[in-house]
Amino acid sequence: MRDDIEQKIKQIMADIFHLDPKQIDEETAMDNTEAWDSANHISLVLALEDEFSITFDVSEIETMTSFPDVVQAVAART
Amino acid sequence: MTDHAAAHEQASASSNEEEIRRSVLSHLEHGRTYDAMHAARTLLEKQPGRRTHRFLRDTLDATAASATGLKQLKVALLSSFSIEFVQDSLVALGLLGGMRIEIYRAGFGTFRQELLDPGSALYAWSPDVVILAVEGGDWIPPAFGGYMEVKEDDFANIASRFKEEVSTLVGAFRARSTSPLLIHNIAQPSWRKLGILDPKPANGQGPVINQLNDSLSAVARAATDVHVVDYAALVNRHGAMNWYDERMKLYAKAPIASAMQAHLSAEYVKFFSAFAGLTKKCLALDLDNTLWGGVVGEDGIEGIHLGPDYPGSAFMEFQRLLLDLHRRGVLLAIASKNNPADVEEVFAGHRFMVLRREHFADVQIHWEAKSQSLIRIAEQLSIGLEQMVFVDDNPAECEEVRRALPMVRVIQLSGQPEYYVRTLQEAGLFDTLTISAEDRRRGDLYRQRAQANAARLNVASVEDYYRDLEMEIIVAPVDRATLSRTAQLTQKTNQFNVTTLRYSEAEVAARMADPIWAMATVGVKDKFGDNGIVGVVMAQERGENLDIDTLLLSCRVIGRTVETAMLAHLCDQARRRRIRTVTAWVVPSRKNAPARDVFERHGFSKIGEDDTGVTFWSLDLEAGTVEWPSWFKRL
Repeated sequence: MRDDIEQKIKQIMADIFHLDPKQIDEETAMDNTEAWDSANHISLVLALEDEFSITFDVSEIETMTSFPDVVQAVAART
Repeated sequence: MTDHAAAHEQASASSNEEEIRRSVLSHLEHGRTYDAMHAARTLLEKQPGRRTHRFLRDTLDATAASATGLKQLKVALLSSFSIEFVQDSLVALGLLGGMRIEIYRAGFGTFRQELLDPGSALYAWSPDVVILAVEGGDWIPPAFGGYMEVKEDDFANIASRFKEEVSTLVGAFRARSTSPLLIHNIAQPSWRKLGILDPKPANGQGPVINQLNDSLSAVARAATDVHVVDYAALVNRHGAMNWYDERMKLYAKAPIASAMQAHLSAEYVKFFSAFAGLTKKCLALDLDNTLWGGVVGEDGIEGIHLGPDYPGSAFMEFQRLLLDLHRRGVLLAIASKNNPADVEEVFAGHRFMVLRREHFADVQIHWEAKSQSLIRIAEQLSIGLEQMVFVDDNPAECEEVRRALPMVRVIQLSGQPEYYVRTLQEAGLFDTLTISAEDRRRGDLYRQRAQANAARLNVASVEDYYRDLEMEIIVAPVDRATLSRTAQLTQKTNQFNVTTLRYSEAEVAARMADPIWAMATVGVKDKFGDNGIVGVVMAQERGENLDIDTLLLSCRVIGRTVETAMLAHLCDQARRRRIRTVTAWVVPSRKNAPARDVFERHGFSKIGEDDTGVTFWSLDLEAGTVEWPSWFKRL
């Protein structure tokens, strides 16, 4: 289950940040990913909400700044 | 579903997505415009949402250097909010409509400077289209957040000041640019300032906003090539509570909810299609289960669903929409596999037909491929195939047209007829910027011009089409389990039925027990699903002959060579019984035109005809046979 979520999130992050899903790992974070700027952060949040049919609170949006944090936030909502 | 099955399904769904993505890329790289558009549409149907929009946008960027037939369009977005989140969907939907859209986006809230300053970056970029997307609350605060502070005497000034400003901006733009300008009108807020009282006083918030929109329309009418995006109607259609995302409005200045952004883009694309000359001109329609429910050739004029009660009411609604389109200048045509006489009967005698024969500019009713019909319609009406839309409920017909004529836009009606109107409306293919008196009469003019002698053209891909259907055929002796379906098919099949002999279950059962009878049912599966038992053959030994008594096919599978497979099966049966000759006879009925030439087409010789028109046929198996079509997988 967790694996499925992680795979899906990698695909979404890859699409939004113009990357290959293989390039996304535990280290991937806002401060080391060029395309992960504030606008794409919103795009990522909206794409995740699309895909998993969930809605984040603003406080959650602000903590989702790395791949593990994103997984954490999505898992908490699904 | 087990976990394993679910995982497998998910894996295959994602690999399928991956495959379609690759084909979009490859079609674009090789300039196969229509295939790229179709693949992109398929991808979005499978995986809707913003990550697919972004993928399509990235793919267009990556293939910017390839020569494609896509129309280039430079679109400038001026907005009072963060409209950047709409861009991916705009580029993606542009691709579906045959366009490569490039976007210039001004910083939010700078729309006045961009329009007024002759040296602005907007004008330097020389856009093909400029869109002014301003939310009412950002533009006219006294009608929104500041409404309660407006003094009674000042209400009259709100609309006049707004009108003046719009005129100034439009004038400044026209002095600098000849491109079309689209301006959003103003959507009503979800909640009115005066509550339940609001609609009654002349100065209620709702009434004031309506005045603003009237002013805006007046400015657009007076100017050249200035158009109003009916944002108010768009928000209304989806509901303000769904349209807006309060959270993202306040947190990221992005007020339009994620799922709604594509609807806004789709609205823009309708304008772009009109600017780029990509608007469709002709709508070619199937009849059975499209204009009415049921199959007229089987159910008869009394049996089809069309009238005030459901489901007939849904088909009437759909016909009303088609009539409106006709009156707007869209050419309607018919592409149907049917007996012309049955259809004429419906047009002449069904009291609930909204559409009349004279509303159709061309009519193609026969049993040939629908792609042939569309080619003839296009010739008759002297329009391009790329200006045609084809609507059918049958996935196999849709597939045949897509394959043979990729430039035709195919809309497959699916599910319940109450959603047909929505499906066609959402496709938004016929919008124009003006409607002239000539448009309103166009359907009549074309019909007068149309002539009946269209040349026959060949489509080389018919065999490919059969193969592509991935048909599996199951020919099995009639047994206890299929007895009832066999009798039922003899009782209700009218069109593809050579003798139209009706049998009860008891009669079929008696034949089952008699070895001189060879009886089989035919089941067909294809990539769209299992059609179940769709055909029956019955033949009996008569001395040296195997004589065909019944050969019938459900209208669902007419035109797919299933009859060839059935005759091949009978030839096998005859050889097994050491019989040399297969004989047959055809009893013409009012409805069985599609079956009458079946023996002639399969190499039988005509050996006689009686005075009632019954014809007799024979095939000598030492001289010839009927081969199994190679595209069927036999089970």
